[in-house]
Amino acid sequence: MIVPLGHVLILSGLLFVAGLLGVLLRRNLIMILIGVEVMLNAVGLTLVGASAYWRNPEGQLFALLLMAVAAAEVTVALALVVYLKRSRSTIDVNRFNGMQG
Amino acid sequence: MTEFLFLIPLLPLCGALIILFAGGRMPRRLLTGVAIASVAASAAVTLWLWPLAADQSRATLFTWFDAGSLQVPMELLFSPLAACMALMVTGVSALIHVYAACYLHHDPDIRRFFMLFNLFVFAMLVIVLADNLLLLFLGWEGVGFCSYALIGFWYRNPVFATAGRKAFLVTRAADVLFGIALLWLFHLTGTLSITAINLQAASLPPASVTILALLLLAGACGKSAQLPFSSWLPDAMAGPTPVSALIHAATMVTAGVYLLCRLFPLISLSPTALAVIGLVGTSTAFYGATCALVQRDIKKVLAYSTISQVGYMFLAVGAGTITGAMFHLLTHAFFKALLFMVAGAVIHLASGEQDLFRLGRLPKRSPMLFWLLLAGSVALAGVPLTSGFFSKDAILAACFARQTLWWTSLGVAGLITAFLTALYALRLVYLLTADREAASGHGPAPRGLVWPLLPLGALALVGGLLNLPEVWGGHAGLGRWLATPSGLSPSHGLEWGLAFVTLLLVAGAWFAIRNRYRVPTSPVSERPCVDFLIAGWKFDSLIRFAITAPFERLGSELERSLERGFTTSWPAGLGRLCQATGQKLRVFTSGSVSHYLVAMGWGIILLLAMLLFLLIF
Repeated sequence: MIVPLGHVLILSGLLFVAGLLGVLLRRNLIMILIGVEVMLNAVGLTLVGASAYWRNPEGQLFALLLMAVAAAEVTVALALVVYLKRSRSTIDVNRFNGMQG
Repeated sequence: MTEFLFLIPLLPLCGALIILFAGGRMPRRLLTGVAIASVAASAAVTLWLWPLAADQSRATLFTWFDAGSLQVPMELLFSPLAACMALMVTGVSALIHVYAACYLHHDPDIRRFFMLFNLFVFAMLVIVLADNLLLLFLGWEGVGFCSYALIGFWYRNPVFATAGRKAFLVTRAADVLFGIALLWLFHLTGTLSITAINLQAASLPPASVTILALLLLAGACGKSAQLPFSSWLPDAMAGPTPVSALIHAATMVTAGVYLLCRLFPLISLSPTALAVIGLVGTSTAFYGATCALVQRDIKKVLAYSTISQVGYMFLAVGAGTITGAMFHLLTHAFFKALLFMVAGAVIHLASGEQDLFRLGRLPKRSPMLFWLLLAGSVALAGVPLTSGFFSKDAILAACFARQTLWWTSLGVAGLITAFLTALYALRLVYLLTADREAASGHGPAPRGLVWPLLPLGALALVGGLLNLPEVWGGHAGLGRWLATPSGLSPSHGLEWGLAFVTLLLVAGAWFAIRNRYRVPTSPVSERPCVDFLIAGWKFDSLIRFAITAPFERLGSELERSLERGFTTSWPAGLGRLCQATGQKLRVFTSGSVSHYLVAMGWGIILLLAMLLFLLIF
């Protein structure tokens, strides 16, 4: 293996934290979705790296599955974003507080 | 051949079922015809199978249930005792059914009436023929239910419905004690068969036998309206008169006596229990007679008289003479059913008037009814040579023949009661014949109301032949047939003496009543002692004061403290607590997505920290 596992893990950890910060700090719904995608891909990267390290194809299979699921999830999420934009004319998450108790 | 025994109870049951399911589509005549025919057929079968009784035939249809050592077969025992009782029940029932068909001529609910009436006869025959105490208990509760439903037959009148409920509740209270006796007997003997229990009775511990006998006595007292369970019977007169005649005079109220007779081999082992039975019987007889003396309602006179006469039967059981008890049971069934049905016809003639002081002129209105009334009354009064005379004297003779202070004093009390009995029986006759402005009514009594009384009238007069003592040239037929020797043989001198005393008492009573009621009188002025007697020694008030009212107080007290606490305050507090917690917690639901995401982030950090912690340690 050319790249050591430790490097892969550090990179994916950084990506995950970056995605998480994006999710937590951004107000724009689309940017939050992008943050979620980054987090998902960080996890995918970990799986691929681990799979290569232990020479076990299952991790790569999971990565493929993850991509398919992420694609489907993004489709639905973007449709919801479009719907929200049309009905509320904003995609600022702080404006959506209809569930307040 | 013994299988045919099941026809005796099942025929009335079939009648009841036919009326229940098909009665709505039948014309009235057919419906009453089915009811009468089923009971009459049952009587005919009883007569046909009569020879089987001599050798104690038994028949088992199937096993009712079988659980471990508890086996309850549907077994009938056709002993001489049961045969006598069954013939009386079916015969008198058939006559009363005919009477009822005429009496309830215009009632719209005739179907319900005859369904219950037939069902009653079925349940009564189950009591009479059952060889198993549990089967007997089934019939016992069955007659209780039919009695309840028939007392409250005109249930739209709340007073009548309450009377039905009262009868049900009072008898149920006594049945609980009977039920305890039943379970205890099973525990001691491992069987519920009456025959087997009687065979094993001698091996039971004497103390248990005494308590068992007293529990059985309590059960019998409930059904037979003896003290202290007597208060339901006068109220039970709310039912239609045929019901009073059949259930509350001739058959059901004697079920208690019959039960004690069936279990006599067990009961007789305890002298204490016998003494208590005699005491209960005598005091009830005296109590009933004093109350009957002043009643104004014709049916109440007869009701208290029934209580009193059944008391005599209890006295007979206590004195150890089953023959005497059964003899009086049979003659009483004849003359009391007769008297009730005459009373019903008299009430019918006066369009529903029941007050003795507003009835009268019976001989002019319906001579036939008058003669029947006279026949019943002289038998009740114990006028020599009538049936009541022989049966009552047999009981008193048995008491005196015991020659102990206890039984002699009970016998003397019985004699005093006999005097009171003659007084109220003759008072009834004099009041009904008095020449006064009586309540108006319609025409002569319908023939259907009169002819069923003729056989009963004849039996009331000559029923003594059933068991004519040898002193009078008889053969004591009933005693031989029942073959239950009491071990007492009253001397001839005693019997003659008793007959003479009875004659004197009746003559004295007649003299007293004739002086008092010969000229039409108005009711006795409202004196406290009369009020006391009319209200049945104020037993109802006593029960209200001693049992019902404290119970109600306890109930309302518990309702206020326990029930409200547990079912209202406590759950309400719990609810309020949940609500308050919810109010406090709702601040966490800001509804803002970013807050939730931050919370999720903290959650992830917490989970990771836990994971780390677990990995390190």
